[in-house]
Amino acid sequence: MTTPGLVEHFFRHDYGRLVAVLTRRVGVRHLEVVEDAVQSALMAALTAWTENPLPDDPSAWLYRAAYNRLIQDLRRESGRLRILERAATDLSHPVSPVSAEAIHEDMLRMLFVCCDDTIPWESQLVLALKTLCGFSTAEIALRLFTSEANVHKRLGRARERLRRASPNVDTPPEKLAARLPSVHAVLYLLFTEGYLSAHDEHAIRRELCDEAVRLATLLANHPVGAVPETFALLALMHLHVARLGSRVDAAGGLLLLEEQDRSLWDRERIRLGAEWLARSARGNVFSRFHAEAGIAAEHCFAPSFPETRWNEIADLYAMLERIAPSPLHSLNRAVAIAEWRGPEAGLLVVEGLAPPTWVLGTYLWDAVLGDLHRRAGHSEIAQRHRERALESAPTDAVRDLLRRRLAAPD
Amino acid sequence: MPTRKYLLIQRSAPASSPTSGKEEPPSPAEMQEMYAVFNAWKEKFKDSIVDMGGRLKPGGKVATASGVTDGPFIEAKEIIGGYMVVAVESYDLALQIAREGPGIVRPGSSIEIREIASA
Repeated sequence: MTTPGLVEHFFRHDYGRLVAVLTRRVGVRHLEVVEDAVQSALMAALTAWTENPLPDDPSAWLYRAAYNRLIQDLRRESGRLRILERAATDLSHPVSPVSAEAIHEDMLRMLFVCCDDTIPWESQLVLALKTLCGFSTAEIALRLFTSEANVHKRLGRARERLRRASPNVDTPPEKLAARLPSVHAVLYLLFTEGYLSAHDEHAIRRELCDEAVRLATLLANHPVGAVPETFALLALMHLHVARLGSRVDAAGGLLLLEEQDRSLWDRERIRLGAEWLARSARGNVFSRFHAEAGIAAEHCFAPSFPETRWNEIADLYAMLERIAPSPLHSLNRAVAIAEWRGPEAGLLVVEGLAPPTWVLGTYLWDAVLGDLHRRAGHSEIAQRHRERALESAPTDAVRDLLRRRLAAPD
Repeated sequence: MPTRKYLLIQRSAPASSPTSGKEEPPSPAEMQEMYAVFNAWKEKFKDSIVDMGGRLKPGGKVATASGVTDGPFIEAKEIIGGYMVVAVESYDLALQIAREGPGIVRPGSSIEIREIASA
C-alpha cells in the first residue's frame, strides 16, 4: 500500500538516516539513546500526520522532532552521569537542515561503525539491519531465520562493544579504508541472505537484496568505498537481482535456470550491472566479487541456456576457488564443465574433490551428483543420490524442483 | 435518504492501566503501513467525514453547579480519547466508518456512536 507524499520505505529509511546523522553528532556511545529518540519521533509523526496534513518536508519535520527528543533525553541522562561534556557544545548549535551530502557521509560512517572489527560478524549484520535499514528485531529474526532472542543477543553484543568504544565516529579516511573488507563482507552477507534465502515469501527476500544494493551504492559513491571490489560487488548484486523475478513460476514454485523465461530478466538492472562491472575492471585487482559478477554476467548475457559460454563460467569458478576456496565453488565448476564437456567430465571434477562432511550432508551435493549420474546413464547411483537430495531438501519448493530435475529419464 | 450526523466518541483505557502493559512499539515499516491504512480509510470516507475531530489531551476541567473541579478522569475505567463527526444515512454506515478506522477498534479501546438530534 502506498501513501501519497511519502516514498516507499520512507519511515524505515528515514529511521536509518536519522540514526546515522544524530549518532555522528553525539557519538556512538549514545547509539541506543539516539535510536530511542528516532523511534519516538516516528511515533509522534504518525500521530501528528494523521491529525494534520503531511508537512511539506516530512524528513525535516522528523529531524527536528528526533533532535529535540534526543537533547531532552541526553540532558536528563547527563544530570546523573555527566557525560555530555563533549556533546554539549555540539548540541547547542541550532537545528540546521542537513544536506544530502552530509547524510550520505553520516550513513557511510554508520556502516563502518557497524562493521567495526571488534564486533562479531553476526552482530555486525544485525546491527546494520537495525540501525541503517530500520528493521525491528522481530523483522530481522524473520529475515535471518532465527529467533528474536538470538537477534537481541547479537545486538546486545554489538552495543556492548560500541559503548566501550572510543567515540570513533571521526575516524580518518585511511583508517576507514582498512575496514573496507569487513564492510564488503557484511554487504555481501546481507545480499546473499536475501538472494539465497529459502524463505517462501519472495517480497521478503527481495527486500534484503534491495537494502544491500542501497548500501553498496552508497559505498561505491563515496571516496573511501570507490574501489574496484565495491564496484564488482555492486555489479554482482545487480546482475543477480535482474534475474530474481524469473526464478519462480506463477504458482510460486522455483524454476531451474534452463526453465526460466529470459524475457522476464530486468534489462535495466543488467545494464546497471554491466556498467559497474566495467568500472570494476579498471585497476589490477581481481577479487572474489569480480569472479562472481563475471559468472552472473555470463548468465545474463547468454541468449539461451544451451548458448551459455560454459567454458568461461568454468574458468571463472576455477578463479573463484583459488581466491575463496570452497567445495561449493568446486561443485559449481563441475556443473559448468558438465554443461561444457558432458556429464562424465563433470563427474571427473567431483571425484577429484575431498569435500568436508558438512558438504556431503547438503542437498546440493546429492543433487549435483544425482543429476550428473543420471545424465551419464548411471541410473542406480543417480537414484541413490536423488533420494538423499529429496530427504535433505530445506523447503518444499526446493524438493519440487529436485523432483523435476532428477526425475528418471523418460 | 437524508443524511444524519453522528458523533463518534473514541474511548481507551488509561495508559497506566495494567492491560496496556509493555508491548513492543511498532517498527518503522509497521508505522508506514498504519499511516497508509489511515490514509486509505480517510480517502474512502472523505465525503462522509464532516469533522475529523481530534485527539483530546489528558486532564481537563469539570464545571458543575457547585463549581469547577479538575477532571476526575484518573479513576475512570475508560477515558474519552477523541471524537469525530460523520454525516451518513444510517447507524450502520457510521458503524462501518468506525469499524474500518485504523487503530480505533483495538484492544482496550472502543467507539461509541451517537446520532446528533436535529430539529
